[in-house]
Amino acid sequence: MTIQDEEILGLLGPNGAGKTTLMLMMGTVYRPTSGNISVNGLDVVQHPNDVRKMIGIAFQDPRVDGILGAFDVLNWHLKMTTNLDKVEREDRVEKVLRAVDLWDARNKRTWLMSGGMRKKVEDCKVLAQRPKIAVFDEPTAFLDVPSRLLMWKMIRELRDEGSTVIVATNMMDEAERLSDRVAIVNLGRLVAIDTPEQLKGKTKGGEVLELTVGNGQEFPRECLTQFSEVRDVSQEDNKVTVYLSGGRLLLPKIVETLTNRGVKIDSVHLKEVTLEDVFLNYTGHRLE
Amino acid sequence: MARRDIATLFRTPWIIISRSLAFIIQLFVFAYLMSGLITSYHGFFGYYAVGSVVATVASISFIIGYDIFEEAEEGLLDYLLTLPIPRREFIIGRALGGAIRAMIYTIPMFVIVAVLENFANPLSLLAAFLDMSLLAFGVTGLSITVAVSVRSANRFDVVLALLELAVSRASTALYPFNYLPGYVQAIAPYSPVTFAADSARAALTGFSLDVLGVAGLVAFVAIFLGLGATFYFRRLEGGVYA
Repeated sequence: MTIQDEEILGLLGPNGAGKTTLMLMMGTVYRPTSGNISVNGLDVVQHPNDVRKMIGIAFQDPRVDGILGAFDVLNWHLKMTTNLDKVEREDRVEKVLRAVDLWDARNKRTWLMSGGMRKKVEDCKVLAQRPKIAVFDEPTAFLDVPSRLLMWKMIRELRDEGSTVIVATNMMDEAERLSDRVAIVNLGRLVAIDTPEQLKGKTKGGEVLELTVGNGQEFPRECLTQFSEVRDVSQEDNKVTVYLSGGRLLLPKIVETLTNRGVKIDSVHLKEVTLEDVFLNYTGHRLE
Repeated sequence: MARRDIATLFRTPWIIISRSLAFIIQLFVFAYLMSGLITSYHGFFGYYAVGSVVATVASISFIIGYDIFEEAEEGLLDYLLTLPIPRREFIIGRALGGAIRAMIYTIPMFVIVAVLENFANPLSLLAAFLDMSLLAFGVTGLSITVAVSVRSANRFDVVLALLELAVSRASTALYPFNYLPGYVQAIAPYSPVTFAADSARAALTGFSLDVLGVAGLVAFVAIFLGLGATFYFRRLEGGVYA
């Protein structure tokens, strides 16, 4: 996998897919057991100190000194990661805390903060640092909707200022709306990587028909694959996913065929391909 | 990193205040009472006062191990490891921070004892301070070694508490050697706290240099600071926290 300069790459995968492990290997915390990772041409094992100077990581679970307030957490982080003088540091911290509406709570000890506030402080570390390579692990977990939208905006601004951004997420809408490209990872492997549009375009047919059939019913797959417009059919429990083209015209025929074969259809939903369908298509299961 | 560790301790001033109060109470109640009861040992109050400062240095130096273990458990260590600090500097910083904060913490107690016992010779005070500094560095190394060698939290707590008890209590810091039970007498001469306490007393009360004690302390520092740094480095660079 190659990550381009100044892009937002979404790492999309279920819990346990290896997203965080990959990020911590990039950040030189974990040593890779095999394979290579280069950051800006520097191998993470051979040149860990140089790599660390370029990277800022916002963790999934906030990693902040609970006894410190948000201001001190960010100020110390900048002191350790940048060459800014005291005035510049404090100015930058103030700007970012005001932007995420935490300025009034800047001196509140972080262990007394809500999960959402602590998560904002964690994200703000990297937003204030403005590293060459910014890594966010599930940046909007615990955040309410307005805060999520704000965080996405700030991450985009970080990219526009010249940072390369990597966002690990298991939220489809986050990956789709925030990323320039999406890498789908599953069970420790890269499954696909492209722009959200390209990934959706590559998915068979371009349309998806979701059927819910009666519980425990044997589904006659071949009665749908007989149609030339149907590219693939997959089943998970009582949910059947049909990848097809020309769905509007084909839908009545499909329903009729299945009904004639004695299949009880509880619901039918025809839609455009989403990243969720792409994920299902590549991995064979849904992203829970 | 050293400054961070020092600041961490002083962000919770009630710990310092409560321990200082406990020290003062111990000195003015227990040591005062005991020195009245013990007639066969002249000047037990002064003996105990110096020894309890040394024992406190050891006790505070052990805290760095708890900090390191907790940071690893809570994931804060992962964050610290992403910061652009070379691993060696990171480890040296932890050891320095652990030892320096123990010394800063005990300075007020040392001053109280110096005033009470009228220790005014600058060279003697400096020599005693250096003895305690060596002890602080050695115990910090020992504490780091245990923190990075034991995985289970319960086992870590037990091992560190027992070690703390062994090096401080099985020593001549608080009680003269001849008054110790036989089984403690067998261990006490080898305790680093004994080296520091005896050397500090020799400097403060006898204006002499306890060469053996200082040599023992230097060996203790070299072994455990070296071991602690090596073990810590291996765990960090080996990605064991993964």
